[in-house]
Amino acid sequence: MSGPEVLVIGGGPAGVSAALELARAGIDVTLCEQGPQLGGAIHRQPNDATQSVRVPRSHKRRWRALSDELATSTVKVLYRHMFAGIDATGAVLLEDRMHARLVTRRPTALVLAMGAIERVAPVPGWQLPGVVTVGGLQVMMKSTGRAPDGDVLIAGSGPLLVALAAQMVSLGKAPVAVLERSTRPMSVSVIASLLAAPAYLWEAAGYLLTLARSGALPRRGAFVTAIVPKDGRLSVTTLDRNGRERQTLVDRVALHDGLLPNSNGTTAGQHAPFIVRAGDCREVLGGAAALADGRLAAGAVLAHLGQIASVHKGAADALARERQAQAALNTLFDYSGRDPAELPDETIICRCEGRTLGQLRALLTAGDPVSPREIKLNGRFGMGACQGRFCAEWVASFVASQRDGSSPPQVSEIVGSRWPVKPVPISAFVTLPPSSPSE
Amino acid sequence: MAVVGAGIVGMSAAHFLSRAGWQVTVYDAGVVASGATGSADGAVSVASKKPGPLMTLAVAAVKFYEQLVATGILVDEYLPRSTFVVASDQEELAVLERHAGELEAAGVPIRMLRGAALMDVIGAAAPAAIAAAEVQREGHAVGYRVVERLRQLGGFTIRRNCRVSGFKSSNGRITGVMTEQGIESTDAVLLATGIGSMHFLAEAGLIRPRKGQLIVTDRAGADSPHFPGPLMSCRYLVSKGSQPAGSTAASRSLGLVIDPLRTGQFLIGGSREDRDDRETADADVVATLLRDAVALSPSLAQLRVIRVFSGLRAATRDGMPIVGNVGGADNVWIATGFEGDGICLGPMIGRLCQQMICGESPEQDISALDAARFGLTLAAAA
Ligand SMILES: Cc1cc2nc3c(=O)[nH]c(=O)nc-3n(C[C@H](O)[C@H](O)[C@H](O)COP(=O)(O)OP(=O)(O)OC[C@H]3O[C@@H](n4cnc5c(N)ncnc54)[C@H](O)[C@@H]3O)c2cc1C
Ligand SMILES: Cc1cc2nc3c(=O)[nH]c(=O)nc-3n(C[C@H](O)[C@H](O)[C@H](O)COP(=O)(O)OP(=O)(O)OC[C@H]3O[C@@H](n4cnc5c(N)ncnc54)[C@H](O)[C@@H]3O)c2cc1C
Repeated sequence: MSGPEVLVIGGGPAGVSAALELARAGIDVTLCEQGPQLGGAIHRQPNDATQSVRVPRSHKRRWRALSDELATSTVKVLYRHMFAGIDATGAVLLEDRMHARLVTRRPTALVLAMGAIERVAPVPGWQLPGVVTVGGLQVMMKSTGRAPDGDVLIAGSGPLLVALAAQMVSLGKAPVAVLERSTRPMSVSVIASLLAAPAYLWEAAGYLLTLARSGALPRRGAFVTAIVPKDGRLSVTTLDRNGRERQTLVDRVALHDGLLPNSNGTTAGQHAPFIVRAGDCREVLGGAAALADGRLAAGAVLAHLGQIASVHKGAADALARERQAQAALNTLFDYSGRDPAELPDETIICRCEGRTLGQLRALLTAGDPVSPREIKLNGRFGMGACQGRFCAEWVASFVASQRDGSSPPQVSEIVGSRWPVKPVPISAFVTLPPSSPSE
Repeated sequence: MAVVGAGIVGMSAAHFLSRAGWQVTVYDAGVVASGATGSADGAVSVASKKPGPLMTLAVAAVKFYEQLVATGILVDEYLPRSTFVVASDQEELAVLERHAGELEAAGVPIRMLRGAALMDVIGAAAPAAIAAAEVQREGHAVGYRVVERLRQLGGFTIRRNCRVSGFKSSNGRITGVMTEQGIESTDAVLLATGIGSMHFLAEAGLIRPRKGQLIVTDRAGADSPHFPGPLMSCRYLVSKGSQPAGSTAASRSLGLVIDPLRTGQFLIGGSREDRDDRETADADVVATLLRDAVALSPSLAQLRVIRVFSGLRAATRDGMPIVGNVGGADNVWIATGFEGDGICLGPMIGRLCQQMICGESPEQDISALDAARFGLTLAAAA
């Protein structure tokens, strides 16, 4: 192969947009997606095309345009290839799940567009089977085209709660309840900012209308305080904004407290290729921004390769607009979760290793200013299979809250920067040819 | 007393020195266990030791761990178990027999496993093994947990992110420790600085970094084969330099240890590379280790790698640790160069350092480790 190769990781709008922009500039580009289909979180395609979840028409149009262009482009797409990290020699490791093997590549540049991860603030019982994330449930619905079995309670905070609830209603099953922690009101200034990107308002209005019709409007100011197993189901204790406690028996609880960039496991060593992040993986700004950000990332790669990139004024403007809209949107929600002071010691914090809040508290009481690394090693937060993807941020802010600003830990000190990004079967390594030259 | 280095050696010494009446401050350029101690496996093991003084000290070190458990110092941090040194072919068998003989001569309890006994004990874990030596009465301890336990027991001060750059001396004695935060006065110094020790010594190239890469798996299911203890391939001994390479083709720097952890996970290691690019692992080495691991224990292929990491061992020119007084000042001691044995030896060495510094005669003969064999002196810069 002549010329530099660029690898784009993640087949959501950001990754596809970056890959297309690079292909247009004549670059040899390969797009790797861990799943069997492109689309990412927002444009996830059903496994069976006849079964689909209702999505806004604008989303459909946007994705159609991207996939049409992709089909006729020179972009090579590798499905079921998971980016596993970058090793000490700078080799990019991909787990080829199609052939159950590990392959290595040495691209000149790497665009990371792996999207966001969902934040869930700990609550007693959140580790129980049957407790899922709102996004996880949505992915399941989008893939199967079916609503989940059993009774579902949705709780936490963020626009995704109503999106999921409305999609469930369209599939013929309303959730038992939707609890939105926030009580923050919609203000004139928020509406003004959202008008810069009115798609959100239309989308939200559509969802809320659907929910209103089925009587499943979110209960604002309400939240979950505990989940316990009961008769093979889940008994959920909730508090409403008037302090009234209630028990609800359900089959599933879907929790969600916002999105964070999916950024661990990817610290660049000295031999690593040139790396640019794009989309939610860089800054969580949603689907429209992801498209623009993909183009900007491609521009950065082209500049690195010494090509004069066309000016992306439009993309930069779009990004600024979306950033403003997201900031306005975020003022409506409350991602803080339950106040740690209210959480009992038994509350699991690290679900991979079953580590509790009590164990974290014990580490901090010794008076000695234990470092994040010690919290990680001895508390085992960030040592499990997810390498802290799901608890490091919470642990870091908890530690910071217990210390009067003296030495707040960095999330990066708890979250892993070691490959593999996600667990890789040993059997996949075994097939890696010794001293393999780049594939 | 200034102890420089909060690894297992420095923290153990601080523990015993503080109990002997010293007012101890431990300085570390990073944090507790940020050196080799936090990036190691935890074989408290005689099985892999070089015959001679090191093997003798390892035997004593294992007993010392047992003693620390009995006295409540390391309650839950030490897990007694056997190590299984495994031969998979005739060449490895020759290495195994020689090494087992030497262990036996040093008084280490050994059980040779062949045929039905072999199958019975490790057959499920390592079906292709042709023989194994069960090295009994040793164990496992996680370095950073030992250190954390000592920290919790307290009795001394820890100064994190406080690099010691040199010393202030007068009349042949150190009187102060120089840090970025200024000079702090001290009556004595123990250097337990691992790979960082060269900064303080005049002799160039005496201690070199030897990188090791390790692999952590997820938990094995309940139906997977039982591992009665760590499996150590005979190649490991060759890699470590405990046995001469001879004609064994695989005398490269990859030795295989498959260590079943208490959590149900496995730690698979390790390489020995003369490089110091720490914190990073390469797919080539990891894949080679895993190929060897699966060849020995095919059931491992069902597990997943959740993390790989590496650490730097401090290797001395003659392969022996350095413990003793440093020339150039009367009140400076050093304990370094533990290569791949510091988790095993560390706590006992801490105790021996305390005895040495207090002018008592050390419980164990450590003359073979004496710093004087290299004529060590403090670097001018220090
Ligand atoms: C669970 C979830 C649900 C969402 N639902 C909505 C919604 O209903 N409406 C809405 O407007 N916005 C939604 N969002 C916001 C959404 O993330 C953005 O609008 C948009 O999808 C961001 O695009 P992106 O390309 O940056 O990331 P994504 O669309 O998330 O794409 C990332 C892609 O990278 C792939 N990937 C991740 N890691 C790897 C890896 N290691 N190797 C290979 N591939 C990898 C993923 O499989 C995915 O296809 C949701 C976000 C999440 C996380
Ligand atoms: C991959 C690997 C596997 C291993 N497996 C085993 C095993 O199974 N069994 C076993 O017994 N051993 C094993 N070891 C070896 C063991 O980890 C080491 O021998 C032991 O940890 C050494 O401890 P230490 O206290 O001497 O050094 P370290 O733990 O390296 O501590 C030295 C400390 O000194 C600090 N320091 C250095 N310079 C300065 C300065 N100028 N000022 C202040 N502080 C300074 C450093 O920050 C560091 O924290 C392994 C090692 C590795 C790398």
